[in-house]
Amino acid sequence: MSDVAPDMRWRPVAALATEQDVFLLRRGGLVAAEALGLERQDQVRLATALSELGRDRLECTAVTTAFSVRGGAAATLVVTLRWQDGPPPSPESLASAARLVPRIRHVPAGQGGSIAVEQDLPAGADPHGAWADRVRAMLGPTAGDTLSAGMRAQTHDLIAALEDVRAQREELHLLNQELEETNQGVLALYNELSQELEETNSGVVALYAELEDKTRRLQEVSEAKTRFWATVSHELRSPINSVIGLARLLLAPGSRPLDADQRQQVSLIAGSGSTLLALVDELLDVAKAESGQLRPQQAPVDLGVLLGQLQGTMRPSSPGGRVRLSVAGPAGVPEPVTDEVMLTRILRNLLSNALKFTEAGEVSLDVGTESAGGREWMLFTVRDTGVGIPHDQQERVFEEFYQVQGPHQRGRSGTGLGLPYARRLTELLGGTLALTSEPGRGTTVVVRLPVRPEPEAPAGPAPADGPVPAAEPAGAGPADGPRPLGVLLCVDDDPAFRAVVRPVLERLADRVVELDRATGIAEAVRREGADAVLLDLQMPGTDGYAAARELAGAGPEVGGVPLVVVTAAPDDAVDRDRLAHARAVLRKGGLTYERLAEVLLGGPSGAGTGPTGTGRTGTEQAGGGAGGRGGKEAQ
Amino acid sequence: MSERVPVLRIGDVLLVSIQMDLEDQTVMDLQEDLAERIVATGARGVVIDITAVEIVDSFVGRMLATTASISRMLDAETVVVGMRPAVAITLVELGLSLGGVRTALDLEKGLAILRRRSGLPDADPA
Repeated sequence: MSDVAPDMRWRPVAALATEQDVFLLRRGGLVAAEALGLERQDQVRLATALSELGRDRLECTAVTTAFSVRGGAAATLVVTLRWQDGPPPSPESLASAARLVPRIRHVPAGQGGSIAVEQDLPAGADPHGAWADRVRAMLGPTAGDTLSAGMRAQTHDLIAALEDVRAQREELHLLNQELEETNQGVLALYNELSQELEETNSGVVALYAELEDKTRRLQEVSEAKTRFWATVSHELRSPINSVIGLARLLLAPGSRPLDADQRQQVSLIAGSGSTLLALVDELLDVAKAESGQLRPQQAPVDLGVLLGQLQGTMRPSSPGGRVRLSVAGPAGVPEPVTDEVMLTRILRNLLSNALKFTEAGEVSLDVGTESAGGREWMLFTVRDTGVGIPHDQQERVFEEFYQVQGPHQRGRSGTGLGLPYARRLTELLGGTLALTSEPGRGTTVVVRLPVRPEPEAPAGPAPADGPVPAAEPAGAGPADGPRPLGVLLCVDDDPAFRAVVRPVLERLADRVVELDRATGIAEAVRREGADAVLLDLQMPGTDGYAAARELAGAGPEVGGVPLVVVTAAPDDAVDRDRLAHARAVLRKGGLTYERLAEVLLGGPSGAGTGPTGTGRTGTEQAGGGAGGRGGKEAQ
Repeated sequence: MSERVPVLRIGDVLLVSIQMDLEDQTVMDLQEDLAERIVATGARGVVIDITAVEIVDSFVGRMLATTASISRMLDAETVVVGMRPAVAITLVELGLSLGGVRTALDLEKGLAILRRRSGLPDADPA
């Protein structure tokens, strides 16, 4: 081996540790063989041999490879693989390599050894050429054929691009899948929600139906209640009227004298009857207000007169002079247009309440005005120093029949209708009623009413056929020289009423004929030769309407007889069109001699040609009763 | 780390075109990739084009033979095409005959072999 070293011209050395190094080794061999002018086949042979041997030596430690050229004219390329430790090369590898190159020399050295692969170079090969640089470049750490590297890079890029596309497609697919899943989820959720909504809806519908049913039943109950009130109060009215009338009859100057005790008792009967009638009237009024039958009759009102009357009628109610009632004048308040009757009732109720629950101190009524919402308002403030109303009941007192429980009630009658009635009337007039109270110190009620009614509501006087307000001045004209009638026919099924009215009628006519039913009334008129007929409206069998029709159609002899219809029914319950024949329709309450005389005798000859003044069909209310009805409004 | 040889699908034939000098790892990866693709695509034939391969040593030769065997197991015939003369000579000198691996001179002939085998009509060479 001593001849090897001196001939070395160049010796690129590289380590051989990995498969990559084997690859580089054979590439190096290929490059070196090509550079040194070997034939193509020999190039491949050398490279393959190096590949076989390099692969065989991979398992050894500290393997190095070296390229060198030896000799002069007949030069030889020597590739040496040297290793420090490892098994000897396999005979197969050595044999394979030996088939490809001319010479293989294996030199064992202790644990290691070396293999020299020798390839003869063709003559004319340039051993000093640039081959060594190329081999070194090949074997260096960054070795690599630039062409091959470029191709590799291109391939790499291509593959990367393909990979990228595939990854994107997969991602897209994945996204689609995800989207589909989300869609399904959304759809499921939607279905679930729809179902839930539907269930809720059906529940709501059921609930609504139930609510409607409840509302309807509530309405029915309310209507039934109102009807009940109206019926009861109406039914009660007739007997009460009789009681009052009979009591008055007993007390009348012309009747048989009573002793003091009896007079006292009859007075009590009359007073209680009046109170009862007032209560019944009030009940009826509330019922009417409830059912919306009450309509305000707007007309100019003289506040001064109204307040004066209140002061006059309410004062006596104050107990024992320990309570002072002060009613302010209407100074500065313009003349309002409103329903006088309703206003009177409102204030009367409030004052009566205040007086009733004030043991000592003062009850005052003040009047003021204010402008709000572009309209003029008048304020009636009723203030007392009475027991007051507990806070938790200040709204409940506006419920019908509600009364604050307590010792203050002792000895005081009442229906519990006053406040709700007052509030309802106030609302009907387009106003508000507010209550503030401090228990033990007093109560203040403020009624706020428009000075003029709503513009859209016709503010003109009441229609000609409407009822005339009951509070019209009392028909004071007592007949100065009433000429008694000949025969007066009184038709009523109620003997009590007939008894009440009989003394009055006896002052009007020589003879009073009473009938308890209207059947055959025309015949009765003819038979008795009646000069006038007093006819009740509500009777079993033939009622007042039928009787009036019978009279009207019975020929001039009978039809010309003045007819006066009396009834306990409220004004609006009377069908005036069917009573066109009657000279007047009077209410049983407060029926007086003066009224009857006025109607029956006032236009004696007018019976045939038609009435004057109030007209046949006009309703003569109980105005002659000197506010008899209104006077009993207070609880 | 190592580069992978692309496997292209043409009908039911997989085409492996080796455009570089093969490193050992690349060959092993190829073997694996190819087997997977055969199963995934149901290919009936594989063409391995080694036109660009300059050196095939015993390892690479054996790997080619193994790859062909694996493909056959998966019901796909393998044809190695485009072998260079130097490579062929060297293989023979090494004592490797790539037994069991069909060879063809070029890609066209390789595909023709596969068509014949799978009973497909011959593509008109014209």
